[in-house]
Amino acid sequence: MNIVVLVKLVPDLVEELEIDSSGATLDTTFMRMIINEPDEHALEQAIILKEREGGEVTVLGPAIEDIDGVLFTAFAKGSDRLIKLVDGFELEVNNHALARAFTSVIRELNPDLVLTGVQAHNDLDGSLGPLVAEYLGMSYVGYVSGVTSSGDKLTVRKEYPGGLIGEMEVAIPAVLGIQSAEQPPRYVAISKVRQAMKTATIDEQTLTELDPSGGPTVSQMFQPQVGERAEMIEGDIDQIAAKLVELFGDLGVV
Amino acid sequence: MPIRETFWNIPHWAEIGQYVLGLLTFLILVYGIWRHIRRWKLDKSVLRPGQWGKRLTNLFTQALVQLRTLKDIYPGIMHFTIFWGTIALLIGTALATIDWDVTHLLFDFQFLVGVVYNLFEVILDIFGLLLIVGIALAIYRRYISRPARLQDFPEPGLGTEDAFILVMLTLIAISGYLVEGLRIAVTQPEWAAWSPVGNVLASLFIAIGDPTNQTLHLVLWIFHIVISFVMIAAIPYTKLFHLLAAPVNIFFSSLEPVGALAPARYTSGPGVEKMSDFTWNQILNFESCTRCGRCQDQCPAHISGAALSPRDVIIKLGMQVWEPENGKSLHGDVISAEELWACTTCLACVDVCPVFINQLWSIVDMRRFLVDEGQIDAMLQDALANLGRYGNSFGQSERMRAKWTQPIEPKIKDARKEPVDYLWFVGDYASYHASLTDITRMTSEVFKKAGLDYGILYEGEKNSGNDARRAGEEGLFEMMVEENVATFESCEFKAIVTTDPHTYNTLKNEYPAEVNGDKPILHYSELLDQLITSGKLELSKKLNYKVTYHDPCYLGRYNKIFDAPRRVIEATGCTIVEMPRHRDQALCCGAGGGRIWMDEIEVEERPSEARIHEAVGLGDVQVFAVTCPKDVTMYQDAVKTTGHEDRLVVKDLIELVHEAL
Repeated sequence: MNIVVLVKLVPDLVEELEIDSSGATLDTTFMRMIINEPDEHALEQAIILKEREGGEVTVLGPAIEDIDGVLFTAFAKGSDRLIKLVDGFELEVNNHALARAFTSVIRELNPDLVLTGVQAHNDLDGSLGPLVAEYLGMSYVGYVSGVTSSGDKLTVRKEYPGGLIGEMEVAIPAVLGIQSAEQPPRYVAISKVRQAMKTATIDEQTLTELDPSGGPTVSQMFQPQVGERAEMIEGDIDQIAAKLVELFGDLGVV
Repeated sequence: MPIRETFWNIPHWAEIGQYVLGLLTFLILVYGIWRHIRRWKLDKSVLRPGQWGKRLTNLFTQALVQLRTLKDIYPGIMHFTIFWGTIALLIGTALATIDWDVTHLLFDFQFLVGVVYNLFEVILDIFGLLLIVGIALAIYRRYISRPARLQDFPEPGLGTEDAFILVMLTLIAISGYLVEGLRIAVTQPEWAAWSPVGNVLASLFIAIGDPTNQTLHLVLWIFHIVISFVMIAAIPYTKLFHLLAAPVNIFFSSLEPVGALAPARYTSGPGVEKMSDFTWNQILNFESCTRCGRCQDQCPAHISGAALSPRDVIIKLGMQVWEPENGKSLHGDVISAEELWACTTCLACVDVCPVFINQLWSIVDMRRFLVDEGQIDAMLQDALANLGRYGNSFGQSERMRAKWTQPIEPKIKDARKEPVDYLWFVGDYASYHASLTDITRMTSEVFKKAGLDYGILYEGEKNSGNDARRAGEEGLFEMMVEENVATFESCEFKAIVTTDPHTYNTLKNEYPAEVNGDKPILHYSELLDQLITSGKLELSKKLNYKVTYHDPCYLGRYNKIFDAPRRVIEATGCTIVEMPRHRDQALCCGAGGGRIWMDEIEVEERPSEARIHEAVGLGDVQVFAVTCPKDVTMYQDAVKTTGHEDRLVVKDLIELVHEAL
């Protein structure tokens, strides 16, 4: 099976997010990017499928910050081909633009299956998978936590709210939004990543232009505001803990 | 004149028979030794010759004088008497053979005559007694007092082999004396008193009279000869092979500091996947094991009830050397992942092994394979991923590393921007752990008070990699070394001081020579000791606490820093009460080798809790002093979980110093 995995980079939340002076976007001074976690699951699921059923895994990502590291790691884990999309990608790219950019490359790869993370914490204009599926004219299933293939059909497990799981058949080619892989993403030793850096090559695909149309325009970004009924507990850890115990006591919880 | 008539009462056919049997024994022995050597695979890397003086000294002190074996007194004396008793009797037999069948036969000359012969007899009689004392000690120990470390071998047949060796030794010693007694009973020489044991036995036989005694003598002589040869032939086929393997192992053992772990050898990957990936030094390690179990007794994982016994790991690997193609895979069938991950790398096993086996080396080599295969638990995976991405195991931003310095005015020097005398490598725990930052700030206050010119690397510092390496992530370790070395090279400093013993160990013993070669690497306890001794740091208060001190593995056993922290504690006016297990015997807290990052193993009692009970057992000790940030967290938890919060306070050494200022 010919599988394409789409990865995107999102702001790493170990750094505090700050809003830049324009008030409509994040301050990128201290921002660093990390692979979107559900995308890691998509990659893991693709490698599991490859190991189980054979085929080839191509990983596709936008040329932002440390995309090379992300791609080499994917290679060390067992993917076969690495492609980065080179263009004036900014750290915060609109998913419509990214999906269109991915689509042009995916078409040439002619995949049986396109996997990507079901969502990302910076999806301001909807998640990537359905957009890609729409542009490619393929069917899409999201919140997937397990995939098996039989011929030209896939059986996928989709998670629904309330702990329900649906099993459904999907004809290939298809786009799947992966919620979680069948097993947690594997660890890849640094020595293998370093080996990949020496042996793997990253194809660069240059795009002519990015088309963000269809996405919303952000007019203002702000920190969550304190609601009227919320009481913020101030103080050091001990004081906060003592206050919590007192509150729980008052509420009859403890 | 006293003279040795070696083959008295022995018919010619028996004498010839003895030599034929001797030749056969020799052939079986040589074949057995060759079988072993063939398996050592001498083409494998790591041989370590050179430094012959040191190696020969080791051979003398450890194989002949057996200093390390004697450290454990009862089994030490037991082994020493059996070894030297047997060796002396063997030499005696060889001398008698030369005297009779070489010099006497060929040159009609005997040297075992007169006073020399009398001395020969009395000395051999005494060594024979020593042997019997040793055997008695061994029988009592193995079958009556039955310490746990001699029980429950992974292969029950091994117990039978141990019994065989003891029975054979007993029979050889007793039959030897009986033969001597019978000879004296019949010949009754004037010099019989020179064989005190034989003479006593002879007095019992005289009553029986001839020719029964002569017949008995011949039968027992043949018995003695046959079992002695069987015993010699058995050497390469039983654990007696350690007679050859152990001295070779001691001779070839590493002379590097124990804190320098052997680097990964990249074959198919960086670790050991199958038996043939081990170096010949490691195979020799397995071959030298006598199953004495000293390592198991010291192992914190084993003591706590975890799946690991370093003794069994080496025994199982030693058995696998003989059947590498029996279809069992090294990982899983022979050695389980649970065993490998239970190791805290505390070095206690390596430190006590009388034949210088390095259990840790093989355990880490096998871990390296598991890491390379991604077979690690989720918590360790997170920690390693965090180390790779953020340079710390906490998964926090590099920019938060020096957050603890925020209240400090004036700012601590940035060693990357200006020259300092002391580059303070703070370490992850002291920098990031919420409950340790007060202690870290105290350290900086004390340094300031002592007028020290020091600086830190702020976000430029990365985890040193000591524990990542011991968890088996060699590539990550190499990357961290490169990053830290690049930072060091951009700084001007005269010495490095570390808070964390783990960091201290790798900087001192494993980082490239440009870092640890010309510049001193100090642990803060050493620096405090220097500052106090030289009068640069004056302590004005006497604290008068009763303190017990826990030696961190990576400071104590690994680097032999035992006295500096104790001198500092005494300088604060405290009295030290030692726990039974202290200095090189100190019990590990259970956090080392990456264990602090892994899921807790189900154990009967955590090592840290056992340690707190040990301290509480001392009576009125008030303070449990440590010199390792991880120890502070480990033991503060253990004091709570054991319910001893009202009896014992865990304090870092710097807290005592700070209080005594």
